[in-house]
Amino acid sequence: MSEELEEKEEDSEINWILWGLTVLAFSATVYAIFVYVPTEKQEGLVQRIMYYHIPSAWLSFFAFFIVFLSSILYLWKREREWDIYAQSSAEIGVVFCSLVLITGPIWAKPIWGTWWVWDARLTSTLVLWLIYVAYIMLRLQSDAGSMRARYSAVIGIAGFLNIPIIHFSVLWWRTFHPKPKMITPEGFGAGMDDSMVMTLMISLGAFTLLYFLLMGQRVRIEKMKDEIDQIKKERFYSN
Amino acid sequence: MGQLGYLFAANAFVWAGILIYIVSLMKRNQALRRDLELLKETLEKDSDR
Repeated sequence: MSEELEEKEEDSEINWILWGLTVLAFSATVYAIFVYVPTEKQEGLVQRIMYYHIPSAWLSFFAFFIVFLSSILYLWKREREWDIYAQSSAEIGVVFCSLVLITGPIWAKPIWGTWWVWDARLTSTLVLWLIYVAYIMLRLQSDAGSMRARYSAVIGIAGFLNIPIIHFSVLWWRTFHPKPKMITPEGFGAGMDDSMVMTLMISLGAFTLLYFLLMGQRVRIEKMKDEIDQIKKERFYSN
Repeated sequence: MGQLGYLFAANAFVWAGILIYIVSLMKRNQALRRDLELLKETLEKDSDR
């Protein structure tokens, strides 16, 4: 069996295992959210949105961190592989940042009485989303090549610098958005009940697995595009 | 809208978002795989001539 074929079979096995684990983790998440965890006293049923809202935020921040890391590695090594990782991760990050910006207002309306306030946390998150939408638009509008990869890498790195601002915004400024409950000066998850921490951890795990699953699919798409371009180029020059 | 309505809406958006994105990735993957196979077949036919 050729090495390429063996590699493809291994990839497919890993992919199926990842699919299975992700489906299991999401089943556990749904069970934990709707059956296991008790209803929060102050906010009621709607507080359960948190178990989607925070993991979506975590996934988007993690995705943008991978964009940041891959962009640095691209600028350093100039290898297309890193550009592919950055591009793929940016798209996933934008999808989940969109979910944060949708679930947040749905949660806010019954609690704050309004869908949106221009406070530091919400505004900086919207700015983050806009930066990476611009990143994707830049890639769509310009021709493939090292110039596009270089400019994208610079945006990918600069955009990530907004994430610490988002994280600390609730501590630096007075905001409508509540302060962190998971990572607190009193300890991990000190501001929450144990069952809530457990549910959030299960959901965070499921979303993290989903990231790797989506990333595998997205990277494969980019690699196939490259392969098609390569074949077309070779054929063009051989004629 | 009651609390249950907001919870349902948030759930619906999250699941719809995830599913639509997965389906779009799968469709893009399939289309490219077809293109790639077609291209390889064409090349093989050309080289046989």
